[in-house]
Amino acid sequence: MSLLELKDVSKIYGNLHALDKVNVQVNKGEWLAIMGPSGSGKSTMMNIIGCLDKPTSGEVWLDGVDISKENNKSLTKLRRDKIGLIFQQFHLVSYLTAVENVMMSQYYHSMPDEKEAMEALDRVGLADRARHLPSQLSGGEQQRVCVARALINYPEIILADEPTGNLDEANEEIVVELFRRLHADGTTLVVVTHDPEVAEVAQRTIVLRNGHVDHEHVNENFTGHIKYNEEAV
Amino acid sequence: MIKGAFVRQWKKMAMIAFTVALGASLATAMLSVMMDVGDKVNQELKAYGANIKVVPKETSIIGELYDVSDGESVGSYLKESELGNIKTIFWAFNIVDYTPFVSTVAILDGNEVTVTGTWFNHHMELPTGETLDAGINSLRSWWSLTDGAFIDEQDDAERDVALVGETAAEKYGIKTGDKIHLDGDAASGDFTVKGIFNSGDEEEDKIFVYLDSAQDLAGLEGKVDSIEVSALTTPDNELAEKAARDPSSLSINQYETWYCTAYVSSICYQIQEVITDSVASAVRQVADSEGSILEKTQLLMILITILSLIGASLGICNLVTASVMERSGEIGLMKAVGANNQAIIALVLTEIVITAIVGGIVGFFAGCGFAQIIGNTVFGDSIEIRALVAPIVAVLVVIVTLAGSIPAIRLLLSLKPTEVLHGR
Repeated sequence: MSLLELKDVSKIYGNLHALDKVNVQVNKGEWLAIMGPSGSGKSTMMNIIGCLDKPTSGEVWLDGVDISKENNKSLTKLRRDKIGLIFQQFHLVSYLTAVENVMMSQYYHSMPDEKEAMEALDRVGLADRARHLPSQLSGGEQQRVCVARALINYPEIILADEPTGNLDEANEEIVVELFRRLHADGTTLVVVTHDPEVAEVAQRTIVLRNGHVDHEHVNENFTGHIKYNEEAV
Repeated sequence: MIKGAFVRQWKKMAMIAFTVALGASLATAMLSVMMDVGDKVNQELKAYGANIKVVPKETSIIGELYDVSDGESVGSYLKESELGNIKTIFWAFNIVDYTPFVSTVAILDGNEVTVTGTWFNHHMELPTGETLDAGINSLRSWWSLTDGAFIDEQDDAERDVALVGETAAEKYGIKTGDKIHLDGDAASGDFTVKGIFNSGDEEEDKIFVYLDSAQDLAGLEGKVDSIEVSALTTPDNELAEKAARDPSSLSINQYETWYCTAYVSSICYQIQEVITDSVASAVRQVADSEGSILEKTQLLMILITILSLIGASLGICNLVTASVMERSGEIGLMKAVGANNQAIIALVLTEIVITAIVGGIVGFFAGCGFAQIIGNTVFGDSIEIRALVAPIVAVLVVIVTLAGSIPAIRLLLSLKPTEVLHGR
């Protein structure tokens, strides 16, 4: 069953076709990686899927709703209810502790619940760092807080934009491992990455070039099993 | 989240609070001085004498018809027993001084001389429990002694004393300490000259004695010619001018407004209500000068207050806008995780308003201090902080803070998460 479907989606800035009649389908529970060189339209596609931007033309169906027709207020609600976002630069609020950053997402979704936020941090292995400010956390730890914040409201889909772009190899492994676990729990994942190693652990990869889907391949070796040592998390 | 914002951004918040405090302190100081400046200027202007004169109705009518000079009796009098009523009117608190006069012509060494009986510093115990020392010693503050001393009703044991004008003293060769014999219409008496004064006007031709002494000489026990009143007044406006012409032309609401405002005309009207068959009228020159000076001073204060608030508003505007720009990434993130514009505006405004409240409270108390400095420097007296100042300053702080936050709010609304999160 398709959770997300892009039909002939284009995004045009002046003369630049950032996306040009792109068709993509993501099934519920699927783990999709999006690759491509800089300027290929990856971030534009993420913004549109993430309800942060609207396409110039085409349809974007998310959980049965054509989000290309929705107004900003509805897009905000969809973002809040159905999407979890993970960014390359983490984007944590500098004056809030790790647990408060997670609770902020709850605050705008429903009600802040510290116990639940602590459980989310525990899932990413950061329960003992919950009271630390972002400046007191390593890059990997900050990204894990970002993952906890993305999953706290049980979104239909998690969108990660270059989630390992700012991490060293060890932390990259930890974050990928978290994605494996989320996928194993049934979460739909769309991960934009430059890194072939991160892409190859996904179920399916599409490669964008000049705003088009250049090619697509399914990871035949995908097992969904946890690859990395659990102790790493 | 708000607590975190305050604790961890205290420097930024302190700067905004400081700006608000500065504006609030100036507003508090200026409003306090402005509200109290009326009384202060009025007190300064008391040096110009009484601003209301009360005469018997007949004297007023005949005076208007035949141009009889002020204070000259035409055979009708006010009752001395009603003098205390003046401090029972609605605006009794604004009556700061008053004194009665009764004049008669007496014979001094074969010459006719005007003898005026009055209060010098008459002590009164009022029905309200207040006390008042009233009389010409304070109402004629510009009088200067050329010799001797002023009559002091409370310290002097002797009551047969006189204060003689400089011209009269020269004319009749009177010196301090002399005993003069005055023959009145009804009685005669000997008076010791306590002092000789210079007033610069026709009063230098007169001899001033105790009210009851002059009444005895003239045979006018319990009667007075006129009363001069010094009252704190509000500058006249159109309503006051209309009421002064004819109070009965006012509507009920206008009448109530006029009656309950310390216009000179409403105080005159109230004095007439308590002094039988009297006409109270404003001494226009004094009343107009007071009003004019007061209006100009208050206008100056209002302008300074407005300018200070505009300054504070611009300061807040810059600081809040800078703060929002600095936090654009954070705000973009909030929008990305599902915060709508209202929620973000509410968050930013809550921070700003709490900061403004703290700044406003600090500024209010600092302003009270500034007001005292201004009062002591300019008027040599403390400024009374009216209860009304606090709510006015609170409202102004809220308005200025909200007005100063408008550009920041516009910026917030225009922030697109895609742009700020991708650093574009």
